[in-house]
Amino acid sequence: MAQGNLTVSVVTPEGAVLECEAKSATFPAYDGEMGILPNHAPLLAKLGIGVLKVVGVDGESHRFYVDGGFAQVADNKLSLLTEQACPIDELDKEAVDGLFTHASGLKATSSAEFEVRDAAYERARVQRRLTR
Amino acid sequence: MANRRAIVKRRKAVRNTKKITRTMQLIATARFQAAMNRAIATRPYTDRLAELVADLSGVAGDYVHPLMEVHGSAKKAAIVILTSNRGFCGGYNVNVLKVAAGRLAELAEDEIETDIYMVGSKGTRAFAHQGRDFRESYTHFGEKPEFAQVEPFAQDLIERFVTGEISAVYVAYMHFYSPGKQAPEVFRLLPLTAPGGPEASGSKADYEIRPSAQEILDQLLPASVRMRLFQSFNDAVVSEQIARMAAMKAATEAAEDMIKNLTQEYNRARQSQITMELLDIVGGADALA
Repeated sequence: MAQGNLTVSVVTPEGAVLECEAKSATFPAYDGEMGILPNHAPLLAKLGIGVLKVVGVDGESHRFYVDGGFAQVADNKLSLLTEQACPIDELDKEAVDGLFTHASGLKATSSAEFEVRDAAYERARVQRRLTR
Repeated sequence: MANRRAIVKRRKAVRNTKKITRTMQLIATARFQAAMNRAIATRPYTDRLAELVADLSGVAGDYVHPLMEVHGSAKKAAIVILTSNRGFCGGYNVNVLKVAAGRLAELAEDEIETDIYMVGSKGTRAFAHQGRDFRESYTHFGEKPEFAQVEPFAQDLIERFVTGEISAVYVAYMHFYSPGKQAPEVFRLLPLTAPGGPEASGSKADYEIRPSAQEILDQLLPASVRMRLFQSFNDAVVSEQIARMAAMKAATEAAEDMIKNLTQEYNRARQSQITMELLDIVGGADALA
């Protein structure tokens, strides 16, 4: 296929984490993973907690941890807006246990609090899986 | 003689002070660079966020999110005041506190009770001295505010707003326009001013939206509130360093002037002593002749 590449950018409030050309990218949407190839139709999606996989132009793949946010696809650009993102190998193994204790320490007496706690558990679970 | 030694001593003291202020100026310059880089790093996120909000609000029609709702029922507001933890920054804190006090007075006129969230030990001390009560005062934000620190704070404000406990949230801080211009400002964080406006250049692409525009907005708006608060923290830090740079530069220059004057005075004293001694000698010689 004679098609262009995809530009992938990941930005967080504290700065851009990634900005590169890619052949394809898979990101964690709120309801499961979603793959994007060049020339994808415009899309806005809510993100879940999970892994962004980017296959670079050189065919090598890179993986990033992404913590919620939004994805926008337009004009062969995929941008992820998230409040926290980092390459997988930069995740802190020790901090993961802290996340679990933090999650189990949250009280859940209302549905909003339940949601917060569920998100905290999900975060801890995903990070543990990734740091194994 | 004693006078001369006193001048020398004084000059030495001023020199030491100058060394300190000069160093502080250099440190502030370095920190300013770092803070500025951080403030600039947040730009892409803010821009994209604003873009998304504009794109979506076109799609979502007149959906009014709880964060945009104006409920005037609660006669209560909150103000977040961003000051520094350290001094030696000229009028920085005073100026911020002045606009904050102005807004507080306005609110008091409308009979709205206002909770004060004070950030920074300087502001805390100043307002405590004026006998004002705080709801909360923080000193842990420091020179490198992290999003993870600001987030729970923002969340708390959002929660109080959504439950109707407070009807508005204001933020008083030093807005950073450019390295040459900063100004103390108060802006309204909540309720959010509706986006849109003339530059609704959105609708350029026909987005497929998952799960729905409304649900994304539900997440997007709190995120943009958090972000605005975070940005004002960043602005405040940059402005603080600039203020410190300017203050320390002025102090260094004043010390230089002082050293110059003292040196002159010292030389004059020395010269007059020599003259006096010469006169003594000549007078003595004359008397003998």
